[in-house]
Amino acid sequence: MSQEHIALFMFGSMMLMLFTGQRVFGAIGAIAAIAALALYGTGGQDIPFSAAMKLMKWYPLLTLPMFIFMGYVLSESKLADDLYRMFHVWFGNVNGGLAMGTIGLMVLISAMNGLSVAGMAIGATIALPELLRRGYDKQMVTGVIQAGSSLGILVPPSVVLVLYAMIARQPVGQLWLAGIIPGLMMAAMFIVYIWIRCRMNPTLGPVADDLDEVTPAEKRKLLWAGALPLIIFAAMMVPFVNGWTSLVESSAIGALAALSASILKRRMSWAVFHTCTKQTLVISCMFMWIILAALGFGAVFDGLGAVKAIDTLFTEQLGLSPWVILILMQLSFILMGTFLDDTAMLVIVAPLYVPLVGSLGFDLIWYGVLYTITTQIAYMTPPFGYNLFLMRAMAPPEISLRDIYRSIIPFVGVMVMALAIIMTFPEIALWLPGYVYGN
Amino acid sequence: MTVLLRVSRAIDGLNRVIGLVVMYSVFVLMGILLWSSISKTFFLPVLWTLETAQFAMVAYFMLGGPYALLSGGHVRMDLFYGEWSLRRKATVDVITVLFLIFYICVLLYGALGSTAYSLGYWGKAPLEFFTGLITGTEQIGRLERSSSAWRPYLWPIKSIMIAGLFLMLLQALSELIKDIARASGRSIPEVNT
Repeated sequence: MSQEHIALFMFGSMMLMLFTGQRVFGAIGAIAAIAALALYGTGGQDIPFSAAMKLMKWYPLLTLPMFIFMGYVLSESKLADDLYRMFHVWFGNVNGGLAMGTIGLMVLISAMNGLSVAGMAIGATIALPELLRRGYDKQMVTGVIQAGSSLGILVPPSVVLVLYAMIARQPVGQLWLAGIIPGLMMAAMFIVYIWIRCRMNPTLGPVADDLDEVTPAEKRKLLWAGALPLIIFAAMMVPFVNGWTSLVESSAIGALAALSASILKRRMSWAVFHTCTKQTLVISCMFMWIILAALGFGAVFDGLGAVKAIDTLFTEQLGLSPWVILILMQLSFILMGTFLDDTAMLVIVAPLYVPLVGSLGFDLIWYGVLYTITTQIAYMTPPFGYNLFLMRAMAPPEISLRDIYRSIIPFVGVMVMALAIIMTFPEIALWLPGYVYGN
Repeated sequence: MTVLLRVSRAIDGLNRVIGLVVMYSVFVLMGILLWSSISKTFFLPVLWTLETAQFAMVAYFMLGGPYALLSGGHVRMDLFYGEWSLRRKATVDVITVLFLIFYICVLLYGALGSTAYSLGYWGKAPLEFFTGLITGTEQIGRLERSSSAWRPYLWPIKSIMIAGLFLMLLQALSELIKDIARASGRSIPEVNT
């Protein structure tokens, strides 16, 4: 059997295992372990465990339990209710207004964390139950949250752009600035999409019917309720932006700030505290074990040279125009992102692609933004995407995986459109860093 | 079967208690990171915080994994699975959970090898090394340290990982027992976590 066949066989058997409904980490991990033993024999048995050591050293992961805990505190203690009440009152008289407000909230959330997963944790715990309670269409809701959370790694601070900066040897500050306008543009496109959909079919996002009794004074007062999360964001962001604390430390400050706020507002009880702590453990474990298995799978899979094969495909067909190669690269990223772990992609694939992009004459800051959006699309694309599985774990039981799969299709469409726009007009990404750094 | 189910209940009880204790270590993690920010801002930055936080996180998800397994927290791809009857789910799980058990065994074996290395054994038979330690034919050699400025020993965290993986194995076996019972038509209530 050639290496390509083994790679195909591994991928195929993993898919089969996933479809049996066994726990995702077990399905991926078992195939990785079997392949490691079959291919490498002695020594192969260490591959799955060495992924655990790799995972330990990946320090941005430390933010994960913090952000999950923070999200649970905000939602379980009903602190987020105030914020949603604000969106409800201010946006509620439009069809789909609360979904648009959620995108707005996601922009705020992504401005305070660097991983899309953390945005998803907060979105799924705060926004999801609220939107469902107010009668929004469930596919609309899960789509909005997943799409909104994808802004997390585009708007600074972004962990993915930090890793990209290391590989592409580009300044982090410029990359972060380059992400701002595309991020806001994508958020605006999501909002326009929601607006159009809800105009065509108002049942997707019903208008709030209890707004008449709200007085203007009450409306203004609610703005203050909305300020509380902003204070929490500030407690976390100010030390981080000023460089006093690292991202990981800031996430702990954010968790503490959320906890303190809920205690001060007398919304925290022992029962709520217990639920938050327990859910944080379960969700963190679910996520970490999937990463653990995927890192093991990635290690075996990459060892087969599956990635190298794609690289030779490009270089041997250099007769193609640079743009065709660039688009092919993005497509292959999406394809690989459906089953490869993001660090594995970043650490193994990006070093092969980035120099090629540079030698084709493209700007590497601009490509960083394209890269980030593409990986986000990849994580949202079925059958295998972290965001999909995390969404499934956090969503209430009435939302099936099929609902989640179907819900992301239109939003992926919007993201592909955003990608095309940024490809055609690089200035969208490059103007701000150029302006700030005087270029 | 009744005996096996009793064993399964004992395992469930054990991992439930461990999970309910371990879940609070998220505050240990938070405390370490907060101390790191405070010391950095007001005093001199300390060396030990980042790695200690990493150790705390690994202990958190390794020892908490069995609890997540017990409480059904590990997500499944329920495209087809979600629509099956309880009995059919259990029947399929009886077979596929063996893969999960195999994976955990490989992880556990890797952990034993890595821990033996961290205790100064560089050979290829970690199990013999550990039995040798007990009988006295093997000795602890050069202890592995992390390659950072703080240079902590690595064997404590690796031992915790062995413990976590062992508990995970027990929990997977408990799930297997419960699945066999369900597949043969018994009604086994979900464990209250």
